[in-house]
Amino acid sequence: MIYSFWIFDKHCNCIFEREWTLGSNTNNPNALSSGTINSKQNDEIGKLLYGMIFSLNSITQKLSTSISDNQINNNIRSISTGKFRIHTMQTATGLWFILITDFKQQNYSQVLHYIYSHIYIKHVVHNFLSPYDFALNPKEQRGQGVKKINNRHFINTLEAFLQSMLN
Amino acid sequence: MPHQQRYNNGSMTNNEAIERQRQYEMFQESLPKVNKILFQMILNEIIPLSVRIENQLTQGNEFQNDTKLDTLGDSSFDKASDLDNITKLKDLSINAKANSETHLGNISSPDDVLIYKLSQSVDENENKYNNILKRIRDIGIKIGTKLVNLLIFTNNINLNFKEMDLLLIMKFICRDVWKHVFGKQIDNLKTNHRGTFYLTDLEYPLLQSFCIETNTIPSQLNEEFILNKESKLVEPFLELPVGIIKGVLLSLGYPLDEVICLATFIDKPKERIKNSFPKGISFHVQITKSFLPQQQKQ
Repeated sequence: MIYSFWIFDKHCNCIFEREWTLGSNTNNPNALSSGTINSKQNDEIGKLLYGMIFSLNSITQKLSTSISDNQINNNIRSISTGKFRIHTMQTATGLWFILITDFKQQNYSQVLHYIYSHIYIKHVVHNFLSPYDFALNPKEQRGQGVKKINNRHFINTLEAFLQSMLN
Repeated sequence: MPHQQRYNNGSMTNNEAIERQRQYEMFQESLPKVNKILFQMILNEIIPLSVRIENQLTQGNEFQNDTKLDTLGDSSFDKASDLDNITKLKDLSINAKANSETHLGNISSPDDVLIYKLSQSVDENENKYNNILKRIRDIGIKIGTKLVNLLIFTNNINLNFKEMDLLLIMKFICRDVWKHVFGKQIDNLKTNHRGTFYLTDLEYPLLQSFCIETNTIPSQLNEEFILNKESKLVEPFLELPVGIIKGVLLSLGYPLDEVICLATFIDKPKERIKNSFPKGISFHVQITKSFLPQQQKQ
């Protein structure tokens, strides 16, 4: 079971968010079967989620340097709570791919890597109509505003890929 | 693949044919190779680059005009106003910075911003828009002419253009040129045998990842509206293959002003759309009449 999927950029902003548990209120026939995409009501949750992962990651980074073992990447891979697991992947370019699931499967790192290498790269990086940086301001520090990925090919491919893992 | 038989009608024994095929494969291997993804990105990068060049050129002109006016005014001043002039010059440079944000965006604007602004500028400043398209086309023409040299006039023994008519040249574009530049062949070639050709590419490779970014989730928007906007954004990218076709024809003896080449979007079968660029491209190539009778006499 997958609950939600998030992408954060290097400016700590959420650039894509897909939620499967909240019902969508729109009466549009083209709307999604369930859940929401890039919904405003998830903005705050996104910030909290990123904040938690960011601080946990900085702790693990510090721990790894104190052991003075720089060979092993000490990024967090997953966080478990009483009800679900948060799987994370950070790319070298500073993007975070985050998947929130139940306990059925231990490791989603391959799924996250596939989303990055086959879906994000193909439909966002190679797409000349997509921005390279989703921040509205080139000197983005925090909170100057950000665009979201609203690219139908990206959304459709991601949807088709994750659909099989939903239940 | 009986590659050599396409261009050589003369009879050959089986052994000769095999030897030729082997030599052709060796030729293929001897061609310089480059990473496909990288190559296609560089080809696409030509479009925003052209916008940047045009921006810089027009900016330079505006700046020059400004300084000319200024120096004309200055000639009436005496030396005492030198200090004034220096401050004026300083002002100028600040002004130039302020002016650098043209309606086509800054030189340092990201690619996607330039592309969006370019498609908006069609109505605002047609002249500039056409200049940019022409620059892209010219680059394509240069690639085309050089490519022919690379594919024919080096050591490819299988291509013999002495007896080649227009149809064979078009086939050469569809098969060899397209294969070497875009990694695939043209899907369909139609002709009326009077100098008009339609080259159809349902999956023009450079565009396959292209998809418009909207402000809201695309499923909430009118599909036709999105498609129209997307086509407009992509149009400048079609000038490059148009230029390549014209360049190939140019170096094979068809001058630029004798060839009309236009690219249009066509619908492609629904089952082939599947999360890729939703339109196929049709290149309409026309050789003007003044050039044709000569060809037919031969």
